[in-house]
Amino acid sequence: MSLWKRACLYSMRKRGKTITLFMFLLIMATLMLICLSIRSAAEIANANIKKALLGYFTVNAKQLDSGITEDMLGQILAIDGLSGKYTLRSYSYANYFDAERNPLEINTGSVTQIPEKYANAGKLVANSNTESDSYFIDAGFELTEGIAITSEQKNVVLLHEKFAERNGLSVGDRMFLGDVSDKSRAISVQVAGLFTNTKEQEAMEITPMYDLYDNIVFTDPATASYLLYGTEGETSVQYGDFYVNDPDNLEQVMAQVQEIKGVEWDECILTRYAKDYQNAKTSLAGLQNIVFIAIAIVSIISFLVLVLFLTLRLRGRIHETGIYLAMGVSKCTVLMQYLAEVFLVAAVALLMSYGTSAAISNQIGSTLLSQVTTDTYETTDLTGVTETIKETLIDLGLSEIKVSVSGKDYLAIWLFGMALCLGSTALAAYPIMKMKPKNTLSQMS
Amino acid sequence: MNLGIRAVLYTVRKWKKTLLVFALLLAIMILVLSGLAIADAQEEQSAELRGTTGVSFTVSRNTATGGWGSGNGGSYSTQEYLTPDMMEQIASVDGIKAYNASIRTILCLSNTKGQWLEQLEPTGHALVDCQFYSYGCFNSEYHSLFLSGALVLCDGKAVDMSDDNEIVISKEIADKHGLKVGDTIQAVNTPLSDDQTMELEIVGVFEVVADKTDERNNFNEASYYDYANNAFVSEAAMKGLLENYADVGYASADFFVSDPEQLEVIIHQVQSINSINWNNFLVTANDEVYERVSNSISDTSTLITTLVIITTVISMVLIILILSISIRSRKHEIGILLATGIGKTVILLQYVLEIFLVAIAAFPLAYLSSRQVARALGTLFGKTVENVIVTPHHFILVSVVGTVLLVMAVLLSCIPIIRFSPKNILSQME
Repeated sequence: MSLWKRACLYSMRKRGKTITLFMFLLIMATLMLICLSIRSAAEIANANIKKALLGYFTVNAKQLDSGITEDMLGQILAIDGLSGKYTLRSYSYANYFDAERNPLEINTGSVTQIPEKYANAGKLVANSNTESDSYFIDAGFELTEGIAITSEQKNVVLLHEKFAERNGLSVGDRMFLGDVSDKSRAISVQVAGLFTNTKEQEAMEITPMYDLYDNIVFTDPATASYLLYGTEGETSVQYGDFYVNDPDNLEQVMAQVQEIKGVEWDECILTRYAKDYQNAKTSLAGLQNIVFIAIAIVSIISFLVLVLFLTLRLRGRIHETGIYLAMGVSKCTVLMQYLAEVFLVAAVALLMSYGTSAAISNQIGSTLLSQVTTDTYETTDLTGVTETIKETLIDLGLSEIKVSVSGKDYLAIWLFGMALCLGSTALAAYPIMKMKPKNTLSQMS
Repeated sequence: MNLGIRAVLYTVRKWKKTLLVFALLLAIMILVLSGLAIADAQEEQSAELRGTTGVSFTVSRNTATGGWGSGNGGSYSTQEYLTPDMMEQIASVDGIKAYNASIRTILCLSNTKGQWLEQLEPTGHALVDCQFYSYGCFNSEYHSLFLSGALVLCDGKAVDMSDDNEIVISKEIADKHGLKVGDTIQAVNTPLSDDQTMELEIVGVFEVVADKTDERNNFNEASYYDYANNAFVSEAAMKGLLENYADVGYASADFFVSDPEQLEVIIHQVQSINSINWNNFLVTANDEVYERVSNSISDTSTLITTLVIITTVISMVLIILILSISIRSRKHEIGILLATGIGKTVILLQYVLEIFLVAIAAFPLAYLSSRQVARALGTLFGKTVENVIVTPHHFILVSVVGTVLLVMAVLLSCIPIIRFSPKNILSQME
């Protein structure tokens, strides 16, 4: 009788035992696969935390004659490790005119002496996303009408509602911005929105009138680029904030930025901002270590349990082994038969484990995890009387956490599982094989 | 033969098999105990991580509900200011770890001989060059300039709520004038007036990290001063320096909470403090950083917890499987015992007893070794995991559940055999 036939017959005859072994192998393989998929998911979650802590660096290119050009921006964005999120900013002063080029009236505050050329001028702030400008974030500005400016829009402005009221302007109206130097550049813009300040301006006595909140105008980077650099069809900016995926790589990315050729980096100031990450770094590493230990303990002990189990199973067959040997079946054939039995069951169990682990992983992924790639957060403004909640939608560009069994992991489990079956069966069979049939049979259970 | 003796004899005679079952039980117990410890440690670590996001809420005066007055600087709000008493009351709410409020003023600094200290880049006018943009702080460590990382304390300590007259200045200014922590300087709000000149001890020195030339920071009065020309003065000292200015007060205060998850509860508790007229004040939550990361943190927690739960459930199934295998291989034996007239209950009891003999050794050993496992693994892979600790509580839980499982497993695997008559069982021989 061939050893394969014997193996099949044994497996079928001892149905209970085969099913137990099958269940055991299936459970262990499933556990290990889930363990591996949880590990990769935890890695993505960790990367998401790092990304959401928003480490970034600022390139201050105000001293460069042409600022950050589109070419330079493209080269910076091509560097590995940047999250793709960035903010472009420029600051200047501009003279304000209406559509007929008549000067618009600004708030002169308590100032008696008005500097020359600034009689109708104010601070011009250009931002690729005005919502994230420090005036809106830190100084308490709020949009009251219209929409915020993003880099997609060209030739648009946001005005203070008092300035708009003073000059009879409203959303949709057109006006002119002119530069305050002698270059006599002027550009036609459209009012996209109105804003107001929710906090009082500090120390208005010492504030130059063009910096007064009423006189500030927000615009898009392209418009400011024309006034500052005279560029047309191309946008140059003074400042760029570039966000990285992993704040740990911030230094490295900054070093790479400074290797870009054709830029006088000595004239630029690069500053790193990763305070939130620095605060969280130790705790985050602690959490990662716990994930690691969890996975390590589960894998190592699963391995031990598997070896012990296979050993236990084989010990019940000492008597059978003795009979085979007495019948003249070679030790090698007996061992091969035992291996064949285990492999048969293991192959089926491993095949099925893909299905079970994928099903469980899917459940974890879809029902337990937050699965938000666009993170919504609330800014709660609680007053004693009323409670208003406004929601801001911020796209952090986080990766979706997939708890899934990768092909690589599955292959690893196959190789590992088969090697384990081979190793432990051989190991368990060794002491039995060493004995003579006589000794084996006399050891009857 | 007594069933106790039989159980011991079997265990000893089949010592190799006993050892295997023992090792299996031990491994599974270690797995479950470590799992529980990991789940607890994970919770603790996540809470710590959430805490590092520096969540706070700001109480500020509501200028919309207050009156307005006008002076030579334009109109100003006449809304009431926050008093130190109010802040203390708010800070006494559970879960608030620190708070800070500051008053801004421009101080003229001089050395103990009365010579003006010059700013970093002097203009040549003595009375302008000695002006420093100063914050009177309850706790300068929590001042936004330090929290944002723009300034970093490089020597000494922050100004706090002690009654001492303390000041923190920049390293550049300290170096320029040969000053160091422990030295004393003088400060006055308006020179050549009735304002008192006070002696302040330099308790700390800060370094400027942020790029001050970045115009992003130029949105308020402070932007007209270089960061190096900033100073932080203790609240006690500021009170003395501004004693002639009754109309100066705290427009807002920031309160920092330990656990961001409690923020809303704490804010509601704060708003129920009756002695404060909440019509005059606004409360704003500052939890952007937390909101950004909280989902990802809870994902990580969920993943670990799920892994622990799956492992525990699987461990239970494994124990039942293993015991049923070891008992099924004794079918023949059961038949013989039944044939010799031994009661079914006695046989069951003997098997339960045998498994208990193994468990009594395995359970405590698992407890002792699992306390070491996480640490050993940690050092092996260069990871520090101090807080994975198996507590006696875990041990008791696992032992009780484990014992119940073992008894169940023995019963489940014996009953199908015991149902038959000895003749049937013995004829089924291997």
